[in-house]
Amino acid sequence: MMLIPCPFCGKRNESEFIFGGPVGADRPDPNAASDAEWVEYLTVVPNPLGPVQERWWHARGCGEWVTIWRDTRTHDIVRAPDGPK
Amino acid sequence: MSYDVQIDRLGRVAVFDLKGTADAVGAWVKDILPAFPVRPNTRTEKNGVALCYIGRNHWLLRAARDAEERLEQRLKPTNCPADISIVRVSDTLTFFHVTGPDAADVMAIACPLDLHETVFPPDAVTYSEFFGLKALVTRCEGGFECAVEQSFGDMVADYLARATA
Ligand SMILES: [Zn+2]
Repeated sequence: MMLIPCPFCGKRNESEFIFGGPVGADRPDPNAASDAEWVEYLTVVPNPLGPVQERWWHARGCGEWVTIWRDTRTHDIVRAPDGPK
Repeated sequence: MSYDVQIDRLGRVAVFDLKGTADAVGAWVKDILPAFPVRPNTRTEKNGVALCYIGRNHWLLRAARDAEERLEQRLKPTNCPADISIVRVSDTLTFFHVTGPDAADVMAIACPLDLHETVFPPDAVTYSEFFGLKALVTRCEGGFECAVEQSFGDMVADYLARATA
């Protein structure tokens, strides 16, 4: 079981939330990106062994969208890793 | 195992959904509203009308059925300014009361919230889950009140009967 911190409600059971997917890379400039970079942006979903940034919707709650970092090895909600996203 | 609880299904309750900032909503209908709750997921009450702070810029006004028409006339949902929204939602919800010595035990079956009084005080109100359904949960005299989408009313009544049989 995960307790997900909602900015409005505080920590709530994961069952109140709907998974909104991992946070993808920022959209590159289509005029500057190579074809390979563009294909990577469109098709590659972040799937690290370790911290991943995710969105969750507090659907059976206040309705807020929440962005968290979750460690895929432990299921722990962790602080954002240092360095660029 | 059976529980020492009483399950009551309420008749119609007057509920209005209010969206907008407290300032904007208050500017339209301040005089009939209780003071706006400041802490998230709490409610205030005045003259039998409860104002529940259930989301960012989102409030529910709850009152007895006989107050519904008076509130509707005063809230004027169809004439309200564009920066707020007021919708009568009374007929979208079915309310249950779970009361008695074992009320908290029955709630623990249905709802993932920590309902201890230190975490869920008397003025607490929040959307959560009730048997997996989105539900409005608050306290009432001697126990807890839960409101689910009205089309699930019979099903939830059945779940409660089975859980407490
Ligand atoms: Zn929330």
